[in-house]
Order: sequence, then C-alpha cells, then structure tokens
Amino acid sequence: MTDAHGIGWLGIVLAIVGGALRVSTPYLYVSLGEVLTEKSGRVNLGLEGVLLMGAMSGFAAGSLTGSPWLGVLAAGVAGGLLGLLHAAICNLPHVNDIAVGIALFLFGMGLAFYLGKPFIAPRAAMLPALPFGFWSSEPAVRAALEISPLFLIGIVLAIVLRWALANTRWGLLLRMAGESADAARALGYSVNTIRTLATMCGGFLGGIGGAFLSLYYPGNWNEALSSGQGLMAIALVIFARWNPLRCLYASLLFGGASALGPALQTVGITAGYYLWSAAPYVLTLALLIYSSSTRHTLAGAPSELSISR
Amino acid sequence: MRSPSDAVDRPDLTQPPAAAPRRRLSLAALPAYAAAVESACLSLGAIAVALLLFGVFVALGGHDPIAVYKALYVGGFGTRFSIEGTLTQASPIILTALCTAVPARVGLLVIGGEGALVLGGLAAVLCATAVAAAPGPIGALVALLGGVCVGALWIAAVGALKHWRGVNETISSLLLNYIAIAIFNHLISGPVRDFSQTLKATSWTVPPAFGIGSMPGWSVHWGLVVGVSLCLVLFVVLRYTTAGFSMDILGGNRRAAQVAGLPIGRLLILACVIGGGAAGLAGAIEVLAVHGAASESLIVGFGYTGILVAFLARQNPLAVIPVAVLVGGISASGGLLQRRFGMPDATTQVLQGLIFLCVLASNAFAGRIAGVSRST
Amino acid sequence: MSAMQKPPCVEVRDLSKRFGGVQALADASVRFAPGRVHALLGENGAGKSTLVKCVMGYYRADSGAILVDDVEHEIRSPQQSRALGLGMVYQHFTLVSQMSVAENLVLGRAQIPATIDWKAEHRALSEFMRAMPFRLDPSQPVASLAAGEKQKLEILKQLYLGRRFLVLDEPTSVLTPDEADQVLSEMRRLAESGMLTVVLITHKFREVMRFAQDVTMMRGGRILATTEVAWTTVDELAQRMFGQAAITTAARQASAPAAAETTPCAGAYCEVRDLSALGDRGTLAVVDTSFTVRGGEIVAIAGVSGNGQKQLVEVLAGQREAVRGSVVIAGRPYRCTRAEMQRYGVYLLTEEPLANDCVRSLSVMANLALRRYDRPPIAWRGWLRRRVLRRFAEELIARYRIRTSSPLARIDSLSGGNVQRTVLARELSEDVRLLILQNPCFGLDAAAAAEIRGRIANARDRGVAVLLVSEDLDEVLELADRIAVMSGGCIVHEVGRAHADRYELGRHMTRTSEAEAA
Repeated sequence: MTDAHGIGWLGIVLAIVGGALRVSTPYLYVSLGEVLTEKSGRVNLGLEGVLLMGAMSGFAAGSLTGSPWLGVLAAGVAGGLLGLLHAAICNLPHVNDIAVGIALFLFGMGLAFYLGKPFIAPRAAMLPALPFGFWSSEPAVRAALEISPLFLIGIVLAIVLRWALANTRWGLLLRMAGESADAARALGYSVNTIRTLATMCGGFLGGIGGAFLSLYYPGNWNEALSSGQGLMAIALVIFARWNPLRCLYASLLFGGASALGPALQTVGITAGYYLWSAAPYVLTLALLIYSSSTRHTLAGAPSELSISR
Repeated sequence: MRSPSDAVDRPDLTQPPAAAPRRRLSLAALPAYAAAVESACLSLGAIAVALLLFGVFVALGGHDPIAVYKALYVGGFGTRFSIEGTLTQASPIILTALCTAVPARVGLLVIGGEGALVLGGLAAVLCATAVAAAPGPIGALVALLGGVCVGALWIAAVGALKHWRGVNETISSLLLNYIAIAIFNHLISGPVRDFSQTLKATSWTVPPAFGIGSMPGWSVHWGLVVGVSLCLVLFVVLRYTTAGFSMDILGGNRRAAQVAGLPIGRLLILACVIGGGAAGLAGAIEVLAVHGAASESLIVGFGYTGILVAFLARQNPLAVIPVAVLVGGISASGGLLQRRFGMPDATTQVLQGLIFLCVLASNAFAGRIAGVSRST
Repeated sequence: MSAMQKPPCVEVRDLSKRFGGVQALADASVRFAPGRVHALLGENGAGKSTLVKCVMGYYRADSGAILVDDVEHEIRSPQQSRALGLGMVYQHFTLVSQMSVAENLVLGRAQIPATIDWKAEHRALSEFMRAMPFRLDPSQPVASLAAGEKQKLEILKQLYLGRRFLVLDEPTSVLTPDEADQVLSEMRRLAESGMLTVVLITHKFREVMRFAQDVTMMRGGRILATTEVAWTTVDELAQRMFGQAAITTAARQASAPAAAETTPCAGAYCEVRDLSALGDRGTLAVVDTSFTVRGGEIVAIAGVSGNGQKQLVEVLAGQREAVRGSVVIAGRPYRCTRAEMQRYGVYLLTEEPLANDCVRSLSVMANLALRRYDRPPIAWRGWLRRRVLRRFAEELIARYRIRTSSPLARIDSLSGGNVQRTVLARELSEDVRLLILQNPCFGLDAAAAAEIRGRIANARDRGVAVLLVSEDLDEVLELADRIAVMSGGCIVHEVGRAHADRYELGRHMTRTSEAEAA
C-alpha cells in the first residue's frame, strides 16, 4: 500500500472491477425495465428522467422515513407513474413514442430538480452493503468487493425475466404485443393495456435504478447525479439483443467502462479526465454502429418497435 | 393475392373497410390555410392545457396559480427589461430549433442541438483567435463561419450514420451531445483555457472587436436578426423550391422518394448540415454576443429547449419565430419566479416539459379537423 | 380441446350495417346449414367480409339478428363468438412470425396457464395433429414456414381451439393451385364427415363449383340469391353477379387470348442479368434471376406471394440494392437515378401505392407532380410554380377520371381505386418506354380492374415494354404475352401464353429451394 506504483495498476483493475459491480447496477435495472417495455413494442427514451425522479424520490423518502428500503419502493413507484404517463400519451393515435420519450426526459428532469431542491445537501439513510471482500486484508480489495443487495437482486431479476419471457403467460402476451399487434388484437387482447403495464414495470425498475444512485453510490442527491445513464441503457438493450441475461453482462461492461475515468484519477492520471468520462458514451456509440445495419433489421428486435423499422 | 407478412401497411382487422372515402368537403375546398389554422389551434390548445396543469401543480405546492401566471407574463413580457431578456433567450433557441425542425422535414428526429451548439461556440473562439489580427467584421464573420461549419459537420455525422449504417439518429445525436460536452469541457479546462479566469474554466477570450453588439435602442444583440432571417429564408426555400419539395417527399414517404429516384443520402445530409449549422451558429453567436468566451455558461440547455420549440411549431421554420419568443419568455421569467415565490429555477423546465407532453398528445387530434394536406 | 360436438347451424336475418355514408350490408339473410361448405361469392366491396365480421363479433350490426342453432344471440365481441364455437381464418395472417407453431397455438387459447410446461404442450400438440388433415412441427418458428403452411396453421389453430363453424376468407389467395385444391378438398371432407360447418369467402367461380355445396351471391351489400351449387352453372352465376354474360375473369380465361396488335421489337429493352438481392431478414430473396422484356410485349412474372417478387420489384424501383447482377436498359446499366428514369422512360406502379408510391400526407396534386416537379414548366430555376402545378394536376384528374373532392385533398382520402388511378395517371402521362407493374389490381372492384388492365394492354399496343409481376394467375393468363414463373427467388419456368397451362404453371410455383424469401 505504500508503494504508489505497485498498487497503481492493481488499483486500476480493482477499481474497474469494483466499478463494474457497483456502477453496473443502475444500468442493469434500467436496461431490464427497458427490455420489458421494448419487448412490448414501445421505446421509452425518457428513462433519464425516470432515473432522476427515482433517485430524487428515493432520497427524499429515505430521508423522510429513515428507511432506505422505503426509499427504494418510493423510487419504484415514482418511476412507475412516469411510465404510466409515457404509456398514456403513446396510447393516443398518431403519437410518436420516441418524441414522447424526449419530452418525458425533459419533464422528469425538471420535476426531479424542482421537487428535489429542498433535499440537496443532507445525506439520507444509506442502503447497506454486503462485504464480499471479507477474505482479503487489503482495503482496496475490500472496497471493490462491497456489493449492494440491489445488485444481487438485479442478477436474480435478470434470470427470472429471461425465464418468464419464454415460459409464462405474461411473457408470451408481452412478446406477442411487441411482435405483432395485429395478432394480439385478433385474439382479443388490448395491445395498449399490455404496453401500458410493460412501460409501468419498466419505469418501476428504472426508478429503482435511480434509487441506487442516491441511496448507495454515489449516495447523495444533486443535479449532476446522472448524466446519460438512462440513455445508455437504451443502447445497452439493443446491444444485448433484448435478452435479459445479456443485459446483465453488458451492464457489467458499461459499469467497468464508467469506472475507468475515476480509477485513473486515483492513480494520478488526471489529464484527460473529461475524455475518459466520455468513454461509456463512445463505447455505446461504437456498439450501436456495430449492431446496426441498413441491410436488415436489428437482430432480435421486436417487430413492432419504431426504432428498428 | 399476396402474403400479408409482406404487407407494409397492414389494415387493422377491426377497421371499417377502406372503400368509404372520408367526407370533408367543406374544409377540403379551402386552400392550405385550413391545415395551418388547425396546426396553430392544436398548439395553442396544448399550451393552454399545459398552463392549466401547471397551475394545478403550483397550487399543490402552496402558491397562488393566478399570481404565478401573472409573474410568468410580467417576467417574460411585462416590462421592457423582461422583453429584452426574452428576446435574448429566444435568439439561440430559434436556431437550435432549426436543428430539429429541418431534419424533421426529411423524416429524421435529431436532438443533437446541444452538442452542435457548444462545439460551435468553441469553434468560434478558436477561429477568432486564429484571425485575431483581422478587422472587426471580418473576424466576427470568420468566427461565425467556424461555428457553422463545426456544427454542420457534427450533425452531418448523425445523418451519415443513419443513411449508411442504419444507426437510429435520435440515439446517436443524443450520445453525440454528451460526447461534444465532454470534448468541450476537456478543451476549456486545459488546451484552450484562459488561466487568468479563476472563477470557472473558461476558454481564451474572443477579441472584443469581434463581438456582436446590440441593436440600436435595445439591449438585444444582432444575433436575433440572424436567427429570424435564417428562419424566413428556410421557410421560403422549403416551401417554394424544388429542393424543398424533394425534402417533403422524402420526409413523407421514403419509399416514394426512392421510386422517384431522389438522391436520398444527399438530401439527408443536406438537412443535417443546415440544422447542425444553425445550432453551431447559435453557439458562435452566444460566445460573440453574450459571453465573449466559451465556458460552462454555454451548456444551459438551449439545445433541448430548441427541441420543444420545433415540436410546438410543428417543424415549420416560420412558426419557430413566435414559438421561440414564447418559450424564451417562459425561460426568462424563471428569475422572477425564483425571487418572488422562492421557486427553484427548474420550475420553468417543468412548465416546458408539460407543454411538450401536451403538444405531443395533441397530435392525436391532427387531421381530424381538416382533410387538407400540410404543404401543397 | 372440446369433445366432438355437432357443428352449429348459423343463420343471419335482415342484417344491416352502415359505415358513415356507406351501406356496407343491407337486410342480409342467409342460413349456413351444419356440416356443409357454403360459399359466399362476390367482388371486393360486396359485403362478404362485413357480413362475417358481424357474425364474428368484430362489428355490431345496426339491425337484424344472428342465430346459432336456432337460438338468437347478441354477439357484441369476438370473445362471445368464439365461445359459441365460431372461428375465422383471415386473409391476413394472425400469426406471430417470431414465435413457434406451439407458441402460436397456445396463445390462441382462451385460458392460458400462468406458467407453461413446454414439453407437455409439445406432446399434447403432436397428439392433436395426428388426428388432423395437416401436420406441422410444433417447435418450428412460424417465420420459416411457407405461405401455404401458414395458412394450414391458421386452420389448425381454429380446429385446435375447438371451433366448429369456420369462416375461410379467401384462403387460397396465397396457395398454389395444387395446394388450394388440397386445402379446400380437406375442408369439404371435414364438413361432410360432420365435424365442421365451413363458410368459404371467395371471388373465384372455380372454387365454388368444385368444393362448395351451397352458394350465396352478394353485391353492393345485398344478398342476390342463395342456391345449391348442384343446381347452377358458372354462366348462371356470372350472369347473376354481373348482369351480363361472360365478362368475368373465369370466362375470359377460358377463351383464347387475342393476338397482340403489334409484334414485339427484336432487341430487349430491359434485361435483368443474374440479379440477386437480400430480403429483410438477411437471407437471399432474389437468387440469380434473369429475364428480358422487349418493347411491345407484356412479360408476366407469376408466382405465389413470398417468393421474391416483392424484392425483385423493389430492386427495379430503387428501393433495394442488389448484391449481385445487373439491370440493363436500352443497353446501358440502370441505377435507378431520377435522370435515368426520365431518360429511359422507366415508370412503375407498385402494390399498395399509398405505402410505396405516394406520400400520404401530401395532396393529390403533389403526388401527381412526383415525376415532373423539377422540370419546366412546373419548375423554373429551382423554384416551384404552384399555379402551373395545379393546372397540370387538374388536367390529369379530368383525363383519368380521378374522383377527388379537390386537387388539394390529401391523397389518402381517396378510395383505393382512385389512388391507383392517380399513380397510373402520373406514370402513364410521361414518355413511358418500360412499365413495371406489381399486383396493379389488388383490392380493386371488377370495373376499376378492367379499366386498368385495358390501359396496360393499350400501353403494350403502343410499343411499351411491360413487366407485370402478379400473384393473380387469372390476371397473368389474361394479359401476358410471355409468362415466367418465379419460385424460391429465381425464374424456374418460361413459356409463351399460347402454350401456358394453369396447372403446370401452378406446379412450377411450388417452392423448390430453401432460400427463404423474407
């Protein structure tokens, strides 16, 4: 620990691993939520706003009630309500769901900052961490392997969603609404209802992702809390081919990439901080370019989705 | 008959047969004014509903909605000072609105105005520094052109990615916003930083001779005139030239444009270049007329507000002018709301978000009133 | 699946339905006897679909009664009709192509279990299919099924769900003649064995005469007559339907085609060489296709839908890029630029013009100007002269008898036939030398279709090279000078009209290779 160089490179690796385990959680929740929404045939670009509202609500509820888990619940509910708003407007005829997403992004952001003003500064009750690094004596390793229970829940969620989409009634109906609205209507199901519920669930999960930011890491509420994570989750879903398990792996990848900037800073590489912080966006754009093609539709894309048409 | 799985336009099983022509004789006999009137009514209706909801929202927060409405008006249009503030706010968003409105005419939903603006401002600084010895007007022109070019290239990349690689332009332009801001922050914190400014990271200062002054009698800079002129020119071009008609075809139905043999890639890039150039110009004007240098004061959301203006104006460059003034008025009244009611400055953003949502919801009613088409 | 019951007897009495200003159904009364195949014969817009959709609960009739087994029911929703054992197989597939056969069948059930044990389901489905006339692999994704198999799956689905009254809406439109015969004869067998009551909606006399036992003729929303097939003939049906003798496609087709007025030019005007193109799913849809079209002849490419015709026309229209091969027009390579289109006189009419050829949000006037707007006199140095444009449009509207309230009306406010007339007016008023048509008469009533076919023949007589890509074999046999059959993405057979035989053509249309036409 005393040798700055020695811990230097190991420190970067640890920071990246720790980052992957930590920073990936909001990506994971938001992308899982967006998978549900997109599988039903809607795109919700407003997830950034949902994320912020979730973060704010979680923080507010946490500081008001003293219980971080109630904060998580409040965040989910807030996200679900925004999802409901998105779905309600998109259910109207001739409405472009991408445009509604942008509007929701701006509205949600404004709402979060407006309502959250009184809550900037104090720390709310924090979510606990599970020390998976107990076997090591190095504090750096310990710090990297502190895992939030939300992350573990997220992993379970990814597995459950993967199973549920193929093997349950709801999964089947959801996929049908996203693949062929005509077939769904012919069978007498209300496509709008299915999509509304899917978007609400997506919002709920997105809100929880936001709560993670304010109640665990970085663990406070301010206006610079999120910068595009909600948006990156959308690209993540495309990259993961709408498969919940792949979302898990991709989230870990993005989390690691996000941790690159701060990790280098701890080792003393301060030059180009902003450029390193752009790494996730560049990665996202590169992945998007890689996955897209003019010749054929995105592989695995639900046929009713407007961005894949 | 042919396989329904190939059908591009599948009829809904529950729709009545398409053979019945819609009866809209009375209004369809009128010229295209009917469509314009309908659009205006829908937008105004949306604003009204949004204001109503906003009133409920502030009432729940314990403030008197009527007083808030009054403050909105006074803060935006009540005094000469507030009007000047509104017009100063409107000037950049007229241009960033074009960054969404022009590509929308060819069917692209581009929201990269923010990124193009900041890079345009930075380019203006760099160009101004490069020709620091030149006379005033020449230097200003070079700086403005620099901003236009960089903004145009930035958004042209979005169009190119869409056309040649099929990348969704909304997502890519949004990502490029964040990347642009990162590049901007990096450069003004280091390579082009003016270290004598200790308050915040600021770029090199633009030579004062290149600054854009205010119009006689008003403390509103000439940039507003540039923006308004560009909107007028674009309106004429889009409506009365064959190039504009080509864009309408492409935006209306890409497959029809292919059948007509139109150069689709060129049209898409052209629209992106115009839109990006406008946003870059906005950034350059902000630097030359307002700040004198590039700093984080350039990243205040003009690009995103421009998106709202474009939608509220229904992507029509002429309508962008009054809408930008209106929305600018809302933004400008934020200070008054903060002082008088203690409301956070995110309040105007809430109102703008509500207006945006209401405008999109109002699309559901478009075409119900008039059966007449939008352009011809 | 419910146990074997007697198929229901469905009767409608004085059923009427109005949509806005159009009386789609007027006092219709029919009895569909149990265990029989009952044909509903009529042209597009005759009211057949409206009638059955009222029975199926998609529409609510304005007046009249629906009786099932002599008990009156007020059918307010599709669920109700399904509960009564009534089922319908639509013209458009209601299958989810990304899912498997098993998933599609399970989805159709009224009660889907909360969690699904797929192994058990697959076993049960295989068991079910043993007793059925058609069999499919439950785990196969629907996207990989041929159109004929998808049609069979739709029928299977209804049987699986225990429906005993089955309405088939133009079921053979996507089948080869042999497949069509197979499906319809199976339906007849199931009806005769007392398992089903079948209602067959069709506009083809041949099918009525061969497979139906009763026939009801409809026109303009009204029932003209109901009779047993055994007591009538094709001519009599035709006379009832059109009020005049034998100007029907069936009768036309029976007589020898008239010889072309002009002999085709010696050299090929349009030559397609080894053209290959990808479909939407990334597999080759057009595979090394070659053919030529000469001036003054109509070359028809026949085939069952889904064999690459759509993609072929898209390549010729500039909507799709070829991966191999070339298109040569007048000896020069053709790249679908606007300048080339005008220079070589290449014009086209695709299927579903509103989706492919027109801009819905623009006016009739603007759509008519699509080919001309950038040339004088409408354009002047880059400026669009709207007054000149309007005059041009008004002239075309008058000449081609396009019914529209005003040149400024949106084009999607026009009826299907008038949209087609608009596109035809636009294309034919240019200096046409190569005319490409794709299913030009799809969805049109007999009069409009006859008019369009007349114009096509006229164009050929004037020396235009015509390429007709059609999925309607009757249309092909009526118009073509040379017939090529496209199957699996390539031309598998070519024959002159004089030597063409319907059934032989049909045999060639069956998919040969596994190249998936996306």
